[in-house]
Amino acid sequence: MFLQLLVGGIAVGCIYALIGLGYSLIYSASGLMSFVQGEIFMLGAYVAFTIYVGLGIPFLLAVLIAIGFMFAFGMLLERSMISPLLRRGSQQIHIVLATIGLSIFLKNFAMILWGSDVKNFPSSFGENPIKMGPISISPQQIAIVVVTLACMVLLHLFMSRTKLGTSLRAAAQDPMAAGVVGINVPLTVGMAWALAAALSAVAGILLAPIYGVYPKMGAILSTKGFAAAVLGGYGNMYGAIIGGLMFGVVETMAAGYLSSSFKDIISFGVLIVVLFVMPHGILKVKAD
Amino acid sequence: MQSTLIVKDLEHKYGAIQSLKGVSLEVHENEVVALIGANGAGKTTLLRCISGILKPCGGSITFEDESIYGFPSHKVAKRGIAQVLESRHVFPKLTVMENIQMGAFLRKDKQNIPGEIEGLFEIFPRLKERVWQTAGTLSGGEQQMLVMVRAMISNPKLLILDEPSLGLAPIFIDEIFNIIPRLQQMGSTILLVEQNASMALAVADRGYVMETGKITLTGTGEALLGNDKVRKMYLGEE
Repeated sequence: MFLQLLVGGIAVGCIYALIGLGYSLIYSASGLMSFVQGEIFMLGAYVAFTIYVGLGIPFLLAVLIAIGFMFAFGMLLERSMISPLLRRGSQQIHIVLATIGLSIFLKNFAMILWGSDVKNFPSSFGENPIKMGPISISPQQIAIVVVTLACMVLLHLFMSRTKLGTSLRAAAQDPMAAGVVGINVPLTVGMAWALAAALSAVAGILLAPIYGVYPKMGAILSTKGFAAAVLGGYGNMYGAIIGGLMFGVVETMAAGYLSSSFKDIISFGVLIVVLFVMPHGILKVKAD
Repeated sequence: MQSTLIVKDLEHKYGAIQSLKGVSLEVHENEVVALIGANGAGKTTLLRCISGILKPCGGSITFEDESIYGFPSHKVAKRGIAQVLESRHVFPKLTVMENIQMGAFLRKDKQNIPGEIEGLFEIFPRLKERVWQTAGTLSGGEQQMLVMVRAMISNPKLLILDEPSLGLAPIFIDEIFNIIPRLQQMGSTILLVEQNASMALAVADRGYVMETGKITLTGTGEALLGNDKVRKMYLGEE
């Protein structure tokens, strides 16, 4: 029972971690909060669904196109909406409102374009669970864990080993000094929003075969991804991963041992307690 | 002599306050030019207008016969101007080596960079032992050296130093001022802003004195050092 729940918790935690990473990337690059990540998650699933099921393009290619599309979407969102608002003197609270507005718009846009029914997204990894001793794991769960792990390793290598990734960190730490050494700071901010969108889209595509694709699929998940980022230490990439996994495991355990109607009470209760003890989250980020 | 940087009648406003009231200044190739003046005279504002951090509202800035007026800072950097910002500005969570590599962000000749970093470590040996430390853990003097190396590794045609001695221990101040003539010998062109007027004028070929947004006096470093007004106002002599 315990191991079974742990596996399930890790799989769902991976989804929270991917979404949480997006929040943290955006915050560390621009000091802003975006509340449209859930709808980007939903849009990523719909775009992949349309290309894969609708147009009949092979799965892997369809997924790559969808992720690329959402990457561009994230960049466009920052360049055409967030950045112009900031130039006109918007405060952080206005940006938050703008992203909430956009999220409502996108939800309704999806409803008009695709309808409000749940679309079945066929799993490409088979339906038969794999037995390993006392636990059984669905192929989709394995895919979630493997793909999430791969995303995190790639993101880590990109941020720490490449010149472009290092310039993203430099620009987040000191934008003025970054500009002076020749880094195009506005572009790095756009890049962070783009990466955040791509990660959310990956999460949406991974979860779609389990719950299906529908306009409101991102609403509750974006809240939990946000909670994951806060729990781990808002703005810290590695914190978002830890926070996401922790959140997923706690809520799955609560659902398994108590009742699924308790899971949100327990997981958000844990969030509140952790924040009482560690107000900056698990991996503290200094505001420098 | 060829003029590298020409600033003409430059104006800048912070809201309603005019911080630059028509400033003109020139820096020629391989020259060390000092800009001195009291706190709040507008020295840093002038530098930040040149490097694109601030937007001026009148006048002109040309660098190597082309206008760079109003350019964003990454485009000014592309033209070959490197600025060492006031109060250091290292990337605190990057290592010393990563900080230096960011200084070479715009360079295309990757293969030459490691050798040049070694060369700069001969001038700044303290940094060599600390290459894998994060920059935020360095002392103030070491951070100042790091940002100077970060600026030098870009191979700048013009190096702008904003208050390099600010907040440093005397031993580091001496070290920084010993390095400036060495950089000049190696071919650098330097525009130096300093409150420490005597040291700045001693290493400078020419100097400008700035007061409340205007240049009020100019001359060779030596002449300014001997000027009565400068001696009274900036060197603390009676």
